[in-house]
Parts: sequence; C-alpha cells; structure tokens
Amino acid sequence: MIDFDDAPARRPYESVVPLINIVFLLLIFFLLAGTVKPTEPVKVELPVGEVDDKGGLQDFALYMEADGFVHFGEKLMDAQMAAYMLKEDIRQAGVEKVSVNADKGAPAHELLKLMEGLRTIGVKQVLLVTNRGDDGVTAEGATP
Amino acid sequence: MANSHAKKRTMLFDEPVGRKRVVSLTPLIDVVFLLLIFFMLASTFLQTQTLTVITPAPDDSEEVDTDRVVIELGVHTDGHLTLDGSTVSVAALEDKLKARIKESPDAIVSVLAEKNAEVQPLIWAVDAARRAGADTVSTSRVGSVK
Repeated sequence: MIDFDDAPARRPYESVVPLINIVFLLLIFFLLAGTVKPTEPVKVELPVGEVDDKGGLQDFALYMEADGFVHFGEKLMDAQMAAYMLKEDIRQAGVEKVSVNADKGAPAHELLKLMEGLRTIGVKQVLLVTNRGDDGVTAEGATP
Repeated sequence: MANSHAKKRTMLFDEPVGRKRVVSLTPLIDVVFLLLIFFMLASTFLQTQTLTVITPAPDDSEEVDTDRVVIELGVHTDGHLTLDGSTVSVAALEDKLKARIKESPDAIVSVLAEKNAEVQPLIWAVDAARRAGADTVSTSRVGSVK
C-alpha cells in the first residue's frame, strides 16, 4: 500500500549570495575595463593601423561611410563639399584639430578630398581614427 | 500619583523591542543586474588610436623642397601597393622602406592613391612609412600610379 502521507524530501536551499558576488564582480569589471561608446551617427568599420600619434579623440569628429559620404551630426555631405559646408561650424567651435572616422572600404580619393578641403578652410591637423591591430598586416584584404 | 507615572514609563521601556525587519536584497540585486546589462551593452573594448596624415593644401605646393629624394608609394585600385613602381607586399613594405630611408634619410615618402583605391591600403601605406621612420609622409590622389 502506498503511503501518501509521506512528505516529499525537501530540496536543499541554495544560497543566491555567490551569484550576487559574481554579478558584482562582473559589474566592477565592465565599469573598469570598458569605455562607454560615444554615439555614432553612422556605422563605420574603422581601418586597422599600428601607429598611434596620441592625438586623442576630438570633439569635432566626422564620419565617412563606405560610399564616401560624410556625416557630421545630422548633416550628410559629399566629401568634396563637406569642408565648405562645415566651415561655419568649425569657425564657431574654434577647432584646429578634426578627427575623421573613415570606413576602411571608403574610397581613398574621397578621404583625401575631404582632408584637402579641411586644410584649405584652416584646420591645422586631421587625425584619422584607426583600430589598434597588432596583426594589421595579416588582416583581410592584405596584398600578397 | 507621580510614582505611578514613573512606574508606567518604566514599564514602557521594559517592553521587549520588536525584531528588526530584514531588508530584502532583491531590489538591490535587480538594480545591479540592470547596471551590469547596461555596461555590457554600452561599453566597448576596441582600442582606437589616431594617425596624422599630411595633406598639403593647394597653395603649399610651392614650398616642397625639390632637392629631396621622393619615394613613391602607390596604392592601387585592387588594393596592392607599389614602391617606386615595383609591387611590394604589406608585410615587406616596412623593411623595404627602412632600407630606402637608410640610403637617403631626408627622403619624402609620397603616398599616391589611385582612383577607386580604398582607405585601408592607404592607411597601411602611411602606417608602414611612419614606422619605417620617414621624415615626411605626404598623401596625394592620382588618376593612376605608373
């Protein structure tokens, strides 16, 4: 005969404290090791480079998409005209350094046109933003 | 009368103090989880750096010292690089440039980007020239590199 009155064996109580400890550790790790991404108007895949001029990221940052068009805030411009369209913004901000986040697949001619334009309107230094890559030479697309 | 008052007060103090309520940790854990998720999504570990490239403004062209040796580094449309006309791999570029710069330390490395060449090979070329110790690295755009 089955005895239904027997209480089922209680599962041992599992403490959540170790879980909380791990979560705290992860939180502290992400707080210390990560940097919060600045908001980017467009998605660009930065080219890989090794040289670091320690220029730092400038407040005045332009983005060049793979199709060669330049973004600054809400503005979308042709590379050739971008510098002239941004002349007033640059003058008002009083910047001498501009960082350019160009997509690695963007046409080099468009980037150079943009840089020439920036130099013409009085920007002293143009800083190209690259991703640090120790094996940049073996990155995809490397020539034989 | 006064005595009975005192007695009452004493009795009040003698009442057993109720057990402190245990503060629940659950809201704290919820907030910590939310913070963790936020930092996991919002943070990046990619290290970016900056590379300064000299692009002469049109009116600077007269200032170029023509006595200096010019090393031509071509960036072609298909992504391959040439050093003074001969094809060179990205891996070997730095060493070859070093050798050239050793011969003429004040040489100007002129990076010529062909039409439709992409940014990545241009960066490789400038990067290699800078690592090779070139004094001046200039960039310009051309229709096609010889």
